[in-house]
Amino acid sequence: MRGNFCSLFKKDCQMMLSGKFFLIAFGSLVLYTLFINFGYLHFANAELYKVYLYDPQGTQKEASELIAPVASMEELQAALLDDTNGVGIDASSGKPEILLYSGSEKADRHRADYALSLLHPGDPYAAQTVGTNTREQKQRKEMSCELLFIEMTAVGFLGVAAVLFKEKQMGVIRVHAVLPFQKGLFLISKLSAFLLSDLIFAALLTVCNVGFSDMEVLPAVLVQTAILSLVMTLIGFGCAMLLHDFRQFSLAYLIIVVFAATPVFLSANTSIKMEWIGWHPFYHVYMGLKNAFFGTPVDSPFYYICFTCGIVILFRLVRSAFYKEMGKEG
Amino acid sequence: MKGVVYQLKSVWKDKFCIMSFLLPVIVALALHVSGGIDLSSVAEFHFGGLEKDLSAQTIVWLERYGSVTLYETEAELIAAINEPSTNLIGVETDGNGIKTTISGDELDIFRQTADTLPAMDRGKENAEQIGVTVLERPDLMDGLQHIFTAMTLIVAMFMGCTFNAMNIISEKENGVDLVNQILPMSRSQYVIQKIFIGFAGGCLSAVLTACICFRLSFWRAFLMLILIVLSALIAALAGLVIGNCSGNLMTGVAIIKIVMIVFMAVPLLSYLLGTDSTAAPFYYFVPSTAAFEGIMYLAEGGKGTITKDIVILLAHCAAGLGVICLRFPRIPSVFDKQ
Repeated sequence: MRGNFCSLFKKDCQMMLSGKFFLIAFGSLVLYTLFINFGYLHFANAELYKVYLYDPQGTQKEASELIAPVASMEELQAALLDDTNGVGIDASSGKPEILLYSGSEKADRHRADYALSLLHPGDPYAAQTVGTNTREQKQRKEMSCELLFIEMTAVGFLGVAAVLFKEKQMGVIRVHAVLPFQKGLFLISKLSAFLLSDLIFAALLTVCNVGFSDMEVLPAVLVQTAILSLVMTLIGFGCAMLLHDFRQFSLAYLIIVVFAATPVFLSANTSIKMEWIGWHPFYHVYMGLKNAFFGTPVDSPFYYICFTCGIVILFRLVRSAFYKEMGKEG
Repeated sequence: MKGVVYQLKSVWKDKFCIMSFLLPVIVALALHVSGGIDLSSVAEFHFGGLEKDLSAQTIVWLERYGSVTLYETEAELIAAINEPSTNLIGVETDGNGIKTTISGDELDIFRQTADTLPAMDRGKENAEQIGVTVLERPDLMDGLQHIFTAMTLIVAMFMGCTFNAMNIISEKENGVDLVNQILPMSRSQYVIQKIFIGFAGGCLSAVLTACICFRLSFWRAFLMLILIVLSALIAALAGLVIGNCSGNLMTGVAIIKIVMIVFMAVPLLSYLLGTDSTAAPFYYFVPSTAAFEGIMYLAEGGKGTITKDIVILLAHCAAGLGVICLRFPRIPSVFDKQ
């Protein structure tokens, strides 16, 4: 049995190698690493609004250094037109007046009051910090988590299906019906090959982007990766068994990407909260992965029991579809 | 013409293909019916405090700037501040004023807000007496809402590309491509037949999506139609080239994957970073940038025209046709005469 498994596993790895699966995964890894290190870390930052002061009589003597003085009313208006998030203070009459382009109601109030507070700044104050991550560490972990999730649900999933459809079209699956193997071995060997490749990908992505200093998060990240990888490979396998060809699969793929991944991303990364998102299984895996990256892995046994049961059920369903496909040849 | 009818028939049998063209329309309907996604909470601040600590007056004051969530224990508050998906600012009473707590990994905007909040609290009496003039500009949130719609439209147009590429690749895989090469058909006939379904499907899908999402005047609707037709044509041509370049399914999938990411990411990047940067002209090398810019312009109701975008799209069409002439060899002239 072990010998059979090894030969099947070797054949699967060769199939993935010839299908350029590893090459594509490596290309994605390089692309993501370049994006995080040279793109995301540099672009993703936002500063608070700029404040412009027109004060020809010099009435505002305490004004903070953060305020940019302008020489005329025209200059103030031009500065605001150029930077519509900025706030203008017109102190030409001696009493300050706020001038700003409308944004959202609450943000406008904050902008106006913030600008006024800069006129009498008082002693410098720094908020107390309670977290352990710096901004760069958070961005690295956040983006690595998102890209790992995208790679497995959207991008790697395509690769999984492409390899499986190729085998299906070549008739490899039906050949297995006459081989003296235990039938489930074929499925287990496939799962192992993809799982191993996903784990290596996750480990390399974490090492390259989160860095060696935070390596204690790796085991928890790998556990979550394993859950997601098994679920996605089983779904990919199921699609390959049930759908006729790869073109049909492209629709199933779109549904998974659009309906499964987008709400998860919106809920998990922004303050948009959808009430039904708790019923979305991918949301829990995504949050599990994210918490693992941030050093607070999920410790609820309920979570692991649910996913183990889910994976077992999926496995049984896929196995029955696989037997059906093998039996078609008659 | 016969060939096109045959292609249509084969698509009609493939229900999945029809559904994939309908998918963006369904997304557009969902966006439209649900009134879009409520993005108002993205632009406001989120404050957190302890139930027993914050006075009702402070809560009312904080609610002027954003939402306030109260927690029972300090541990819960700190966990919420550290939660990586939010940028919660912790607020505590400190004598007559307040003090703030942050996680330390936030973007500068949230750190600066937390740093200046106590000073704003001290000056709140003065603030109420100051006059504020708010100048009108298009609602920022509308712009964000349009991004979703414009992206759905770009996806709808991209469907033609995926369909054509997959069509050619599957023909290569099952040998139909070899049969096509000896068919008595000229190059132009072949190219027209091959791009027709992807182009027509992409157009139809994008037109339906646009009809659901936008209420445009006649002139603007006409401009939108031109954008859609040109973009769908480019996508269909791109699909043909991708199909032709890919040796097997896996390579095809990889190329489609890269093209899809580039088609969606570059316009977004160009929109978010603005057109002032030095890299701005290079964004237009990706055709969806011009299409996205034109769609956003029409949706936001800007004045003027979108001539520049249309010219760029036309240039891409010409380039696409040029590449096809190079990639697809001329079929022996004996067939051209038939």
